[in-house]
Amino acid sequence: MMWLTSKSAKALGAVKRPTNASGLLTLCFLSLLVLLPFAEVNAQDNPSSEASKRANSQQWQQTLASAQGETVYFYAWGGSKPVNDYLRWAAKEVARRYKIRLRHVKVADISEAVSRLKVENGRNSAIDLLWINGENFNFLKSQHLLLGDLWQQIPNSALLATKKLSLHSDFGVPMDGFEVPWGVGQFNVMANKGLFDHETLTPETLLNAAKQNPGRISYPRPPEFHGTTFLKQLLVALSHDDKRLYESATPTAQNELLPLLWNYLDRLHPLTWQQGKAFPSSNTEQLSLLQQHQLALAVSFNPNQLAKEQSEKRIPDSVERVYFAQGAITNSHNLAVPKGAQNPNGAKVVINFLLSEQAQRQKLKGNWGDPSVITPVLDNASTLPAQQELHSSWQQIIEDSWQQKYGA
Amino acid sequence: MATKIRRLTLSTGWLLVAFAAGLPLFGVILGLWPSVPIAWADITRFFAYKGLMSSVTSTLFLSLSAPLLALYVAFMVYSQYRFNPRWQALEKRLAPLLSLPHLAVALGLVYLFSPGGMVYSAFAGIIGHAAPDWLGLPRKSLLTMILAISIKEVPFFLLIFSALGRQLAIKDWLLQGRALGYSESASWWLLVFPIMLKQSRLALLAAMAYTLSVLDISLLIGPNIPELYAVALYNWQTGFTSADQANAFLGNLLLLIMLATLITGIYLHEWLVVMRLRTNAVMAKPLNIARLSRVFTAWLGFFSLLTVAILVTFLLWSLGWNSQSTLSSINWSPALWQDEWFFMQGPLLNSLHIAFFSSILGVAITLLALELQQQSQRYLPDYIWLLAILLPQLSMVHGWRIAHSDLSASYTTSWIILTHIPFTFAYSYLVLRGPFQSLNRHYELVAASFGYTYWQRWWQIRFMLLRPALLSALAIAFSVSIAQYIPTLIIGAGRITTITTEAVAIASGNEQSITAVYMLVQAILPFIAFLIASVLAQRIRGSFDATHH
Repeated sequence: MMWLTSKSAKALGAVKRPTNASGLLTLCFLSLLVLLPFAEVNAQDNPSSEASKRANSQQWQQTLASAQGETVYFYAWGGSKPVNDYLRWAAKEVARRYKIRLRHVKVADISEAVSRLKVENGRNSAIDLLWINGENFNFLKSQHLLLGDLWQQIPNSALLATKKLSLHSDFGVPMDGFEVPWGVGQFNVMANKGLFDHETLTPETLLNAAKQNPGRISYPRPPEFHGTTFLKQLLVALSHDDKRLYESATPTAQNELLPLLWNYLDRLHPLTWQQGKAFPSSNTEQLSLLQQHQLALAVSFNPNQLAKEQSEKRIPDSVERVYFAQGAITNSHNLAVPKGAQNPNGAKVVINFLLSEQAQRQKLKGNWGDPSVITPVLDNASTLPAQQELHSSWQQIIEDSWQQKYGA
Repeated sequence: MATKIRRLTLSTGWLLVAFAAGLPLFGVILGLWPSVPIAWADITRFFAYKGLMSSVTSTLFLSLSAPLLALYVAFMVYSQYRFNPRWQALEKRLAPLLSLPHLAVALGLVYLFSPGGMVYSAFAGIIGHAAPDWLGLPRKSLLTMILAISIKEVPFFLLIFSALGRQLAIKDWLLQGRALGYSESASWWLLVFPIMLKQSRLALLAAMAYTLSVLDISLLIGPNIPELYAVALYNWQTGFTSADQANAFLGNLLLLIMLATLITGIYLHEWLVVMRLRTNAVMAKPLNIARLSRVFTAWLGFFSLLTVAILVTFLLWSLGWNSQSTLSSINWSPALWQDEWFFMQGPLLNSLHIAFFSSILGVAITLLALELQQQSQRYLPDYIWLLAILLPQLSMVHGWRIAHSDLSASYTTSWIILTHIPFTFAYSYLVLRGPFQSLNRHYELVAASFGYTYWQRWWQIRFMLLRPALLSALAIAFSVSIAQYIPTLIIGAGRITTITTEAVAIASGNEQSITAVYMLVQAILPFIAFLIASVLAQRIRGSFDATHH
């Protein structure tokens, strides 16, 4: 799937060169034709002016007008204070600017929202907006439960840094306008200084660290997505970056690659927290165990989290950020609108605001520190070397086999 | 005409009562309808789910042992306190102690006793170096679960025993025991315990059904290798693949089988106990457990201390304590309260709104159910009325959710109030039935002879006599509604947030300080309800002493 996306993006990218009005026209036409409405984002040399042009369009003005007074129910993971605080800030701004009430519905796992959408089956939905990526997105897209054309309709999607970041596909599945990138996750590990010799870690150095600090190492219990990603990083390293990990998981590939991971975990688990008889339920629980000196490391998907937590004095300075030597698994986390949403206009206005320069800057500079996805606010300083996300089919397989091997 | 109206009123009344009492069964039955076709392959895959058997066994063990442990402790406490001046103190303090929510007890224990917890750190501070981890309570384990639930259920069983004690002639039995030459403690076990055990079957089942399908505390302090069954089932119920849905259906069936196992367990335990006691009595063997009872003289003090310690821990955390700090280095500040207060108002108002209406409606329907039975001279067995607390919540709410989304119903507080009513109804029935049945009919007879009509008698005499019991029923129903998690979350789609749903969402993160704020509020709400109820009850008693015959 990945090659298809990049190929079609390239093909469309080639078309756009003649710039300006004629280029734009051709482009709109083309994107309508192929129903891949992300191409015009690349089209502009000046994304900001394109965004404001689109914002002034009659269609968007209508959306803004009809969104007034709506209440947007935003289903998003609620386990992190900085994220919750950021959404509180966003709610205040959205209320002030657009007269929209933004309600953050805190879910423990976004799959709860996905299963609700499946039960509702396109009928009037409880959900107006959701924070999603990977397997959950893949499912909703394949079931036709999402509103399309978001990239075209939302003016600020012209700001998306599609040239610098890989934002067209989500775990190898093309977004096709059914979701809009909101932020970037890079998998990293916050570890006590001295636990690892280098800024990077490998399965071997991790095992050594576990031997020297028995009971002080753990990871969130899969299928919690931080835990699954931890396993993916190990698998990439143990298989020496086998190319089959980026394609749909075939039985042969599974039989050849997965045992590498299980053999490794068999050696690691006896040395982990509670001898692998319990795992933290989430990355946040792992973080609080790190704060209480019960663990020597905690995982994170936010490359800036450590710096933020340290500036708030919630993690001691004796903790450093490390990442896997092959690179940090990098993916985008995205926003989508269900087909049955009762306030789709409000949801689009909220997305547009969340992609604005001000909102993206606040996200990066505020307590959350989540990397931006728009060109005007790109932050290269804290970016880690990236490792491509595995194909989405590996997710379920790794989680299921982990459950079968270590779930009891 | 008059008889017709009367008949119509009666049948409407029965309908209403049947609705509140039957809603749980309706949910369970609806949930038994498979939402996807089930093939043989689904069944084999379900049973091949790794950890299923150990999850089922550990959950069954937990659901059997924790309530039984609580029952034994409660009985020993009861036997130590009943004919003792301390009983008055215990009865007075029972309601507020009962009002501490399960979640608060569970998290409180972890905050206090886990490695890194307050008591543990203080202990480490005293001996000068870090204490070994095994000294602390594990953060996530079956042991922690068993401790939390058994500690929390003791006041519940004490409440049941105190109601039973009013009906049983315990004092006479103890006298007879003494006449036969048994010590008092032996008489408690040989004569009183078997009857009490038999009479508290339903209470025991209620506690077991609760433990079987409790989700919030299983998520937070339960073991996760394997996870407790409620957590696994909830994950299937909220999963979206067809495999998950098949698992959810089969898992629901298995949950009901587990409930049946627990019921068998209750009878089996009873039989074993009676056998054992009989042998002991015949062989005149000393009862070891009787000696243990004396330890529980200190229970009231211990439990009050624990409650205060838990609340103080939450208070300290909410005011700036954290695991990095030593006592001297803390910046005590109410900043967190000020920050959160703004955002807490919504959930708080929802909680109050839902609890207010569902408790009043629940108690009103209870009164109706009792009155209708009184009129028809026929009391239905208790288990029919108590279905809401005897059936596993996860099963019934699963069915309700199907009905709710099939109706394309809205996500408003009224629906949540509706789903809370079966629970407030069941608990108030548990509390009110005794006082209602034992009302002294004499006053009403006298009133009738003075020419009072039926309604006048009902309102001016029966209702007035029942007022103290009604107040405590209201307070209990109120706190039951406040603590509801699964129905609020699932029927409200998360859109209706209450203090409890917020507390669980926040507790799953790593912000112990904010969690503490919400836990305190969640614990204080029922406490306030009990306080108001007891103040009002005292006033009523003061002006109208006829209630205490």
